[in-house]
Amino acid sequence: MWAFIIRKLVYNIPVYLAIVMLLMILLRQRDPVAGMLGKNATKQDYINKRAELELDKPFLAQYGKLIWSIVTLDFSQDVWTEPGVTVGEKLRKAVPRSLALTVPALVITTVISIFIAMLSAFNRGRWIDKLLVFFAVLGMSVSFLVYIIFGQYFGAYKLQQWVGTPVFSIHGYEPGIMNWAFYMLLPVLISVIVSMGYDTRFYRAVMVEETQADYITTARAKGAPQSKVMFVHMLRNAMIPIVTRVMITLPFLVTGSILLEEFFGIPGMGYVLLSAIRNNDFPVVEGFTAVFAGLFILSIIATDILYAVFDPRVRLQ
Amino acid sequence: MNVIRRWMATREARKLWRNKSALLAIVVIGMYLLTALFVMAGGISRDTCDTVVGSNKLPGFFQQDTPEKRYENATTKFLTKIKRALAADDVGGALKEVNLGPYLAADQTPAQLQEIVDQVETLAAELNESPNLDNDPSMLPKLAELESVETQLKAPLSPWDQFIFNTSICLGTDSQGRSIFFRGIYSIKIAIQIGLVTALFSVALGAFLGAAAGYFGGWVDHVVVWIYTTFSSIPNLVLLVVLAYAFTNSAAKDTLLPVYIAFGATFWIGTCRVIRGETLKLKEMEYVHAAQTAGFGPLHILLRYIIPNTAHLMLINFSLLLIAAIKSEVILSYLGFGVKNQPSWGIMIRDAGNNGDVVGGFFWEIGFATVLMFGLVLAFNILSDALQDAFDPKHV
Repeated sequence: MWAFIIRKLVYNIPVYLAIVMLLMILLRQRDPVAGMLGKNATKQDYINKRAELELDKPFLAQYGKLIWSIVTLDFSQDVWTEPGVTVGEKLRKAVPRSLALTVPALVITTVISIFIAMLSAFNRGRWIDKLLVFFAVLGMSVSFLVYIIFGQYFGAYKLQQWVGTPVFSIHGYEPGIMNWAFYMLLPVLISVIVSMGYDTRFYRAVMVEETQADYITTARAKGAPQSKVMFVHMLRNAMIPIVTRVMITLPFLVTGSILLEEFFGIPGMGYVLLSAIRNNDFPVVEGFTAVFAGLFILSIIATDILYAVFDPRVRLQ
Repeated sequence: MNVIRRWMATREARKLWRNKSALLAIVVIGMYLLTALFVMAGGISRDTCDTVVGSNKLPGFFQQDTPEKRYENATTKFLTKIKRALAADDVGGALKEVNLGPYLAADQTPAQLQEIVDQVETLAAELNESPNLDNDPSMLPKLAELESVETQLKAPLSPWDQFIFNTSICLGTDSQGRSIFFRGIYSIKIAIQIGLVTALFSVALGAFLGAAAGYFGGWVDHVVVWIYTTFSSIPNLVLLVVLAYAFTNSAAKDTLLPVYIAFGATFWIGTCRVIRGETLKLKEMEYVHAAQTAGFGPLHILLRYIIPNTAHLMLINFSLLLIAAIKSEVILSYLGFGVKNQPSWGIMIRDAGNNGDVVGGFFWEIGFATVLMFGLVLAFNILSDALQDAFDPKHV
């Protein structure tokens, strides 16, 4: 297994190098300096600023420097738009906020969708299944934006008018567990509703596949009760696709939800990233993507390993 | 024709044909396509979408504005223009240039117009005594009189112009007084255009690379897998935003080209993966071995034996990518990186969100954009499901 892990890691080094290079090339299509200095800057100011940001160096030198700081896990470069703040600090502050939103959302969505999917798969073809699938498709056809806008309007604004006091925050953020429900619960609920359609359909397809398997017939023939067939026999065997799907979404937990964070004013990773792109803050975008890409590659490798753990037939090679 | 007839007789096609909801979805998609063609043929131009047709945030279904807004409309917009024209040195010429949306100045002498203006102003002064017209129902008849007098300043519309005008305000106006109906319909073209271009491009590229990688194996496979792992390791939205953003200073910034490139660069990955997997399976088939033994070259085998047998997967992926493109366009436009200088559903939703429409309880703009998008995406969702059921029933 160790040989497998090491080989995979080595195999992904060129992938990682290419990701960083692609991102740097794309970012450098724009000139951040002119925007930072404003209209009244002289030619000399411009040259000085470029030198200060090290944008005048050859591309490969900049690339090498970034790669080196990633390899040594050194994120102490200053953010361009806020002097004195390092990229590392910025990311360290933003990540927990994003996680406070995405982790509960993922857990709730996964648990509820699996239950609904099992209900649907066991009643395959009956009205309850058709109704659930219909709602899933319906839910998938509405834009994320609309969910957020109306969720914010009814869940925060209108509710506040009806109840009299603010129940959920409309916009803003304060850290702390005590404040979590006030600031985060509504975005979490919206996120759950949005992802529910996709997840339910995926898990339903998985479960339908399993209900047709021979071992289910055997279990039924033995006289095992319905609940045991569902939760013991089937859920265990459906674990592989479920784990794969959850594993693949794990790196996205860190990136947060750009839209939800933007609407509810939660300064998590998505928010930081979007404002960094808007303000041409290259170090933040680069640091962010470097971290994400690393996590993404690691999670793909971890998925392969978990495959082997859950299914003894799978050989790592 | 023969190909189509033969295809219609296959089991899959018959299965699709029997699926009533899929047929309905195809009809709906056809209607959207026709509308898009109508817009593309010049039925609704970009100028039509940008023309101010009435007061801002006018509700749909020919409901009236609030009394305060009606008062303001009657006493400012057209009246101001007429007054300015009457005060000009060349009164006749200035009057000819007065226009507000479809309305022109009435064909009367300056003296007659001046008389109407005076009447309007007298009525307006009386109405002005009420502190808030919204809470003062007794003033409503007077307000109606004011409006009817003010209308005399405008030249009557021809029946066709009247029809166009009624159509334009049938779903109200946005925060700048532009027609929500026309903007929404025009956005169908944008959505279909972006969807078709990116889905066609992504499926073609993904299928070609995937089939090549699967068939040749070796270094070709390594390179293709390396490329798509790289692209998929950057979060999709980040890549889209950065790609679209890379163009903001170029000459193409006002066209749809940045959006096409951003979507094209990210959307081929899924198709490529699927087709590569299928090709790995297909190349062990006996008919492929037979073709190899018969001495056909690899290109011939790919084009003649392998790619046609992945056509069903391409069709399904095409439908899924269309949905993804339409939905992503809305989000990208909302964030300000997508469509620019022309209406799109994302822009309409953004306008509705940013200009306080939703908070003020004015749902016409966001509602129409949502309904149009919902119809199209729902139809494609149903169609993709039906395609999947018919062609790829084992898919998880």
